Amino acid sequence: MTPNQSRNSKTSRVSYVAVILLLWCAAICARLVYLQIFSYGTFALKARHQQQRTEAVSAQRGVIYDRAGHELAMSVSVDSVFAIPSEIHDLPVTTALLARITKADPRELFSRCNASPNFCWIARKGDAGIADRVRALHLRGVYFQKEPKRFYPKGELGAQVLGYVGMDDAGLGGIEHQYDEKLHGVDGRVIVSVDARRRWFGSVEKQPSPGENVVLTIDEKVQYIAEHELDAAMRETHAETGTIVVENPHTGEILALANRPTFNPNLSREVAPQSLKNHAVSDVYEPGSTFKLVTIAAALEEKLTRPDEVFDCQMGSIVINGMRIRDHKAYGLLPVTKILANSSDVGAIKIALRLGEDRFYKYIRAFGFGQPTGIELPGETRGLAKPVSRWSKVSIGAIAMGQEIGITPIQLAGLVSTIANDGVWVAPRIVAATTEPQTTPRTVVFHPAAERRVLSTMTAAEVKQMMQDVVLEGTGRKAILEGYSSAGKTGTAQKVDPATRAYSRTKYVASFAGFAPINNPAITVAVILDSPAGLHQGGQVSAPVFQRVSQQVLEYLHVAHDVDLPQNRQVLMTRRETKQDDLAENSPDHLGASLEVAEDASPTPVAAPVNLAHQTAGATMGSDLPGLGVTPASLRQSTAAPGPILQPSSSLPSPPTHAALASDGGATVVLDAGGGGILVPSFIGKSLRQAIETAEGSGLDLEAAGNGLAQGQQPPPGSHVPAGSKVMVHFGR
Amino acid sequence: MAKRISADRWLFTITLVLVFVGLVMVFSASAVMAKERFGSEYFFLRRQMGWAAAGLVAMVLAMKFDYRRYKHPAIVFSTLGVTTTMLISVFLLDRAHNTHRWIHWGGFSFQPSELAKPALILFLAFFLENRTRSMDDWRNTIMPAVIPTLAFVGLIVFQPDLGTAIACVAITISVLFVAGLNIRYLGYGLLGSLPVLYLLIFRVAYRRNRILAFLNPYSDPQGRGFHIIQSMIAVATGGVTGVGLMEGKQKLFYLPEPHTDFIFSVLSEELGLVGAIIIVALFAIFLWRGMRAALRSQDMFGRLLAVGITCMVVVQALINISVVLGLLPTKGIPLPFISYGGSSLFVTLACVGVLLNITKHAD
Repeated sequence: MTPNQSRNSKTSRVSYVAVILLLWCAAICARLVYLQIFSYGTFALKARHQQQRTEAVSAQRGVIYDRAGHELAMSVSVDSVFAIPSEIHDLPVTTALLARITKADPRELFSRCNASPNFCWIARKGDAGIADRVRALHLRGVYFQKEPKRFYPKGELGAQVLGYVGMDDAGLGGIEHQYDEKLHGVDGRVIVSVDARRRWFGSVEKQPSPGENVVLTIDEKVQYIAEHELDAAMRETHAETGTIVVENPHTGEILALANRPTFNPNLSREVAPQSLKNHAVSDVYEPGSTFKLVTIAAALEEKLTRPDEVFDCQMGSIVINGMRIRDHKAYGLLPVTKILANSSDVGAIKIALRLGEDRFYKYIRAFGFGQPTGIELPGETRGLAKPVSRWSKVSIGAIAMGQEIGITPIQLAGLVSTIANDGVWVAPRIVAATTEPQTTPRTVVFHPAAERRVLSTMTAAEVKQMMQDVVLEGTGRKAILEGYSSAGKTGTAQKVDPATRAYSRTKYVASFAGFAPINNPAITVAVILDSPAGLHQGGQVSAPVFQRVSQQVLEYLHVAHDVDLPQNRQVLMTRRETKQDDLAENSPDHLGASLEVAEDASPTPVAAPVNLAHQTAGATMGSDLPGLGVTPASLRQSTAAPGPILQPSSSLPSPPTHAALASDGGATVVLDAGGGGILVPSFIGKSLRQAIETAEGSGLDLEAAGNGLAQGQQPPPGSHVPAGSKVMVHFGR
Repeated sequence: MAKRISADRWLFTITLVLVFVGLVMVFSASAVMAKERFGSEYFFLRRQMGWAAAGLVAMVLAMKFDYRRYKHPAIVFSTLGVTTTMLISVFLLDRAHNTHRWIHWGGFSFQPSELAKPALILFLAFFLENRTRSMDDWRNTIMPAVIPTLAFVGLIVFQPDLGTAIACVAITISVLFVAGLNIRYLGYGLLGSLPVLYLLIFRVAYRRNRILAFLNPYSDPQGRGFHIIQSMIAVATGGVTGVGLMEGKQKLFYLPEPHTDFIFSVLSEELGLVGAIIIVALFAIFLWRGMRAALRSQDMFGRLLAVGITCMVVVQALINISVVLGLLPTKGIPLPFISYGGSSLFVTLACVGVLLNITKHAD
């Protein structure tokens, strides 16, 4: 090898190395072209997928108000806690700590975190305390995110009306579902860039727009009364389900809609499905005797009979088209008024036969049966009202007494309201208005929905009178109010046993639907108790509930008394002498009882004038303001409560109620300077509500027992006690 | 023979450009992370600038210093000795994270393995200069040349830093090859090293995982395939023109070590195909000018030194880029001039100074 050769060889070797390395460079360039040009699409997609996240920004959900502007459902922003387990060094210890705060199962939490290293919820929409306590631990890999949480400040109140929302803020029942779109608003969208640790450094793409508010016709207080009394009724009767509807018959506004069983929408995850059901709109049941109102009203309207026409009730047995129907009781000759009062099946059938199938069906439809009322609630059923073509030969008889027809409680309230409203059917409404999101409180005007005249004013007045007789002389005697006239109709329907497809002998639906006062009725109340144990007659089971609800609601609404007690008592006393029905015999004569107690209390120098003053105030009010309807509640709130205030379009004169309130409260608070203590006022005859107000006004601690009106108290009225002392008040009927 | 007074302008300029690009990219890649970890976006940039300044001073000094004066046993062997001592001492000094790579001194930390590469090149160039005619002499040439290499490689492997060890082997092979080593021996060497490589790679869990991840990154995209996939995503999203300087997203904790070993991912994402190919081209030109200097060198010492230094820079760059592009399994090798890392930058610049001095003396 010569030096020159060697040099050449070395030269070529240097070139070899250079060429190899240059080829490597070329390979790299090819790879760059492949990645950055040909694979650009797929990898860019992967990059976007991991770097960008489109996060929905929840819009602030609208508020649900009652008619006076009280919040029934609202959204609050709460911290949810989540973890990125991959950032946590000691997962078992961290999850154990978190589980102790969230009261979760530590093993479950650990396995959940272990399974998803990138993201894991620890506590969603929990109490504020949880997030704060977790924050205080300064745990690595644990983060917080604001999420809206639905909050129902009144708990179970109106649960089926309001509904509830799921974890994702979607309305899952009631108004929350029906108005979900409006309440929800429009979610915003944020396209956020996230780093590998899921931290955001993005910007808002689209601002969320908050949801509209919904103003209900429900009155929180009326709703409370209805639910409270329904609870009591459920306890007493052990009914399987129960419903109360309170409606303004003139406008169709639903003031209260109570259902049992119920649930707490704040704890919607634990809700049993059966308690979600809004029986008032989704239960179809055979109404029984309450439906006789349709039969008789139709016949009167068609001038086929008169209230005083006498029918032969054939001692409780009638044959229609070869089929014998037996009455629940053998009646002889009865005028139409008594047919309704005593709820004679044979009488009703005879009237229906005179009416004929087609005309009867026309009125069934006109009263709104067999079709949805259009109330703003989900799951409303239209009931079952077969067209005439599908009637059997005996159908007319069955329907006349409320069988072979299915109705909903809200339809029953509609029927009674039509009569109360001088023959005009008004569609029931539960939503007064929706208001702009996050607006300041303002008055919304309620416009009644669809109306149609079903009965003439004359006929309506006749039926009203007959319904009053039901209360005063018939099956509805337990619906007599104190200081108010009332009217109604009882219903006791045998349930169809799904197993045998025959009428059950043990299961009944006991109902009572009525209104008060007679002239210019302020409220319609329908009470339906399904399958009460023991007593099951509508007049025994549901009428008392009507009485308790109506009494309290009318007083709360400051409806003027239209009956004074002596007169009422007289009526009652005479009835007592002449009554033949054993129904009234069993019932404690509550009006008499309370009066007796009142008389016992009258020697007390303080209490007697108070009661008198109260009564006179009521009486004068009554004469001044005959048309006092639903407004006082809202008007009374208008000074204090935030939120939209509801006023019916049929505006009423300014409230007289401050005077009444003042006289009531002012008179009962009596401080005795000499005695060195508080003079105990008389609670006798007061409702629980009034008693509480009185006790609060006097600085006494009320301990209540029983239901109804106050009948006794300890210490007695007129005694002196230290401030804050306990007063035992016994309520009863 | 007319001697060139000035050094190679290409090499000099390319080096300055690459160092500048490095500073920019280090800042872009590390700003967010530096802000988070150290409270200042400039934390890494400031340090890198300090090292770059020191490195450039060293480069200029080395450029002025006649390379032939290194050709002295005292210098060569003392360099070898100091390097060996430092490589051993890391095992005694540094126990952080079960790796022994750093010597901390005052506020500085230094990676002795960076020094091993030039020390090795210097030794090989010195030792082989006068043995190019006896390259077949197994006992007197090959064994003495290879033993220090194996010693260094062994020490570095156990730091453990397989990437740098492989770079050392690649440099040694290049120098031996240019010195005239029979290709047969290279073949034997490769065959002999296979079982060792097998043991080093497949007996160590994380290396085995890297190989498996390289072969099929999508078998475990959140685990061992994560780094490779994230790096390829970064490169590909750059497209032709890139997402723009500082605009890259993958450096935000998707990429491991975005300012060191994976800085080329960030560069490709932000500057696109254009920027990436320019960088590759700069290294190719560096290769061309370096090899040109070797060819034109007056003596064997200068030629081997130039080949060694050029290969040291280029091979490391190509390995690093190949890893980033998913062409090679993951190794911890920085991208010369550009990656954050003081020892690497300083030593590389000093070596480039030596290379520049060689160009001065070339014909």
